[in-house]
Amino acid sequence: MMQLCFTDIQKRFGHRRILNGTDLLLASGQCSLLCGPNGAGKSTLLRICAGLEKPDQGKVDIGSGNQSWKRCRPALQAKTVYLHQQPYMFDGSVIQNLGYALSRRLPKPRRKQLISEALAWADLESIATTSAKTLSGGERQRVAIARAWLHQPTVMLLDEPTANLDQEARQRTLQLLHSLKGQGIALLVASHDPKHFYSLTNTWLQLTAGRIETLVADTAIADNIIPLALAQQAL
Amino acid sequence: MDRLLTATQQALALLFNGDAELWKIIGISFQVSSLAILIALVPALLTAFLLSYARFPGRRLLISVFNTLLSVPAVVVGLTFYLLLSRQGPIGDLRLLFTQTAMVIGQIALCFPILVAMGHAAFQSADKRAWETARTLGAGPVYALLTVMREVRFGLLAALLAAYGRIIAEVGASMMLGGNILSYTRNIPTAIALETSKGEFAQGIALGIVLLILAFSLNASLHYFQGKGHFVT
Repeated sequence: MMQLCFTDIQKRFGHRRILNGTDLLLASGQCSLLCGPNGAGKSTLLRICAGLEKPDQGKVDIGSGNQSWKRCRPALQAKTVYLHQQPYMFDGSVIQNLGYALSRRLPKPRRKQLISEALAWADLESIATTSAKTLSGGERQRVAIARAWLHQPTVMLLDEPTANLDQEARQRTLQLLHSLKGQGIALLVASHDPKHFYSLTNTWLQLTAGRIETLVADTAIADNIIPLALAQQAL
Repeated sequence: MDRLLTATQQALALLFNGDAELWKIIGISFQVSSLAILIALVPALLTAFLLSYARFPGRRLLISVFNTLLSVPAVVVGLTFYLLLSRQGPIGDLRLLFTQTAMVIGQIALCFPILVAMGHAAFQSADKRAWETARTLGAGPVYALLTVMREVRFGLLAALLAAYGRIIAEVGASMMLGGNILSYTRNIPTAIALETSKGEFAQGIALGIVLLILAFSLNASLHYFQGKGHFVT
């Protein structure tokens, strides 16, 4: 079982300390839900995990002991895929967008086959030749997830994947996330609205004052506790 | 008015009858300017990219310098390189003055800041998520750069056309560095200047027509490609 462990992650922007010794463990086939108010540092943490943002300090263990983030950066970029809150669509069709996730060295028939599989997996066949820039929010999210799936990461980092989606689009996105989890991909989902994710979540993490607090780390308990916690939050 | 009409008729005759001297001048112009832009293009776009995406001390100063260089007159560039390349100059031993190579150097110096400044503006307009998405999907820095360039291709094409338009029509640097030698360093703008000073307008008008057609073609092609790329209304 693959594990990705981050220890003592620190990050500040100017005088503002965003992450203050954050620890995080991601395991294959598990979904961690990262909650916290806007500006708590959820996106920053995800970007650090993806190798896109340099922390001021922090260690990473990708299976060969604790090493500096800088040293692990290439491995992080190879193993993870980060999905923006509003996924970026490259100029071109959905098929062309999916093609970006595949190696340029792959033979053309194999590329075609993999893209067809991704289109079928994410139910994108009907919009395969549509310009990706013209898609709705839900369709973009599905294209982005299918694109990430094609890249075959071991960890997927999703920043507010259901924000601004209607109920149907949200359900379809969640179905894809369930499928990814079932395939053994570790998921870290950042959201300030956790109620949509409890069927998916194994570990509920709360980011407060730059530190992560594990609220729930068991699905069976989560089924009972998360709704209760949410109800308490609402009060 | 009659004189102008006659000169224009003669100019058209020169163009359509394939006047060897005239077409040689046109050939030199395109050869020198195309070589200059080809040499400048890659380093200039890389510089523009670094100014947009990298963070290093002096970055803002560099951007200001390139923006300032946009407005430097061609004749000042010509003078600078004339002093450098002349016999007593620091690189006079290379004996490049009054050669096509000297003209290419001068034109590189003229088009480089345009490519950097306009390329920088194009890269700045690119969505930063494009770079991050390419990187997170496994692209190395070079392929991610090419991906971003593809996303801002119309801005970069505009930079390329503006730079090419500037150097093919400049007279100051070419005159001072090339020396306006017939069949060797005489290009369209220096020939126009010479013929006009001699009172021979026909060749000047013919070459002017070529420059106007070129300017129109460059702009029309840019609009054509931009129109093809804008499928989002």
